[in-house]
This record gives sequence, C-alpha cells and structure tokens, in this order.
Amino acid sequence: MTTGTAPDPALVNAAFEQVWGSMLFTAFEPWPADTVANLGSGVQAQIELRGDWNGRIVLTCDSEVATQIAGAMLGAPAEEVLPDDDVHDAVGEVLNVVGGSVKGALGGVMSLGLPGVSETTNPPSAEDCLIISWHGAPVFVEVVPDAA
Amino acid sequence: MKILVADDSRVMRQIVIRTLRQAGFSGHDIVEAEDGADGFDKVQTEKPDLVLSDWNMPNKTGIDFLRDLRGSGNQTPFGFVTSEGSEEMRTLASDAGALFLIAKPFTAEVFEEALTPVLG
Repeated sequence: MTTGTAPDPALVNAAFEQVWGSMLFTAFEPWPADTVANLGSGVQAQIELRGDWNGRIVLTCDSEVATQIAGAMLGAPAEEVLPDDDVHDAVGEVLNVVGGSVKGALGGVMSLGLPGVSETTNPPSAEDCLIISWHGAPVFVEVVPDAA
Repeated sequence: MKILVADDSRVMRQIVIRTLRQAGFSGHDIVEAEDGADGFDKVQTEKPDLVLSDWNMPNKTGIDFLRDLRGSGNQTPFGFVTSEGSEEMRTLASDAGALFLIAKPFTAEVFEEALTPVLG
C-alpha cells in the first residue's frame, strides 16, 4: 500500500536535468507546450520505488533517441552502431540514476529496484507526462503510483 | 595496480573506466565483474588492489559483496560508485568498511579526490 507522498514533478525534473548535463553532456530543455509530441517505434524503461511510497518511474522515447542517448553516455562517435543491449543498458542506467536521486530526496524507508527496458509502440498520454526535449525529439517521463 | 569494477550495467562499467582515465588513473589493469557474486569470485582469483562497486545489483548487492569480503578476512580497499548517495547509505557503506561512496552522476574530479589516497 502506498502511504507516502508521490515524488514531486519538480524533483523528478531536477533529477533528469542533472543526468542530462552530467551523464549525457546535453542541455536540458522541457518540451515546448505548443508542440505535439509523437512517438514511433520506441523504447520504454522503468524502475520501481518501494517503501513509504510505492510506484515506478517510466521513461519512453523513440528508438533513435535511445540510441543517441546511449552514444552520448558512452562518448561514441555518431557513426558507431551500438548494439541494442548497450542501448537498453544505457537508457536503463539513466533511469537508475534518476531513481537513486529521487529515492534519496524522498527520504524515509525506500528501496530502489533494478531498471527494466523493453520495446514499445504505445506512447504514454502526454497529459500525464513530464516531457523533455532531446535535440528536438520528445522523451516522455511518467511517475506511476501502484494501483490502490 | 589492478582495479576491479563491478556493475551490472556494461555501459556504466565503460563509463567508470573512462572516468578513471580522465581522472589521471591511466595505466592500471582493469578487471570487470557483472554483479557482486562475480566480483567476490574475481577478488579471489584476480587479487585486485582496489574494488569499485555498484550497490544495486542482481545476485549479490554491493553491500553484501563488501560484507562477504570482510567476513572472509579479505581487506581489499573497497569503494562504492552508485546512484544512491543518501547519508543512510553512506553510513551503511562506511560501517561495512568502504573507503568512500561516489554518487552517480559523477565527475572525474570526484574520482580523483576519492581515489588518490588509494592509488596515489
């Protein structure tokens, strides 16, 4: 049962901003409110938080964006073809670091799960998401509490 | 010197190794382990001079890896590189015998500061 308060969107936003700058060496920009955010064939990563608040943080982005995120993290040349395992690994690690920051800021008795990554073609509802811009493409972030 | 890097993320192991170079610790032998259980085995076979370990890993967590090492009488210098840097976890790490805890995301400067006392 979830008894604690869900992570504040500003807290999740700040955790992503830190990762964008420190791990991906990319300026953090929110998605412009007046632009429709579309998703093609995508990658979805999620990590669970358990304790005073129970739920998960979910990141969804286009496969090409995921590949670019992995390349930025590894410092790989643009022409280098990264294996899918490394792309999934990198996106999961972004969420792992965000989850660690959020867990630390929430305080209380919490545990962080291991990131899971899968392919998806279903974009989350934009109204329920924090959307970050990755070089002009959307990265959807949801904070999803366990069902009551 | 030989450094064992334990993390279940291959990408993160590569980033830790790159950051070691950026922090001025080039030329050391690097051994990789994919979780705490693999790390524990490789400490026995590879006899590293330093272990850099993630905390949250399948099979054996980093803190259990450290506790098992110390429980078996192994005193290899050990530091965490982990996404969780709360005071509670720093205290747990220190109490178990860790020299330092570096929180992700990290910089080469943080690596230099933490590792210089060990690697010189």
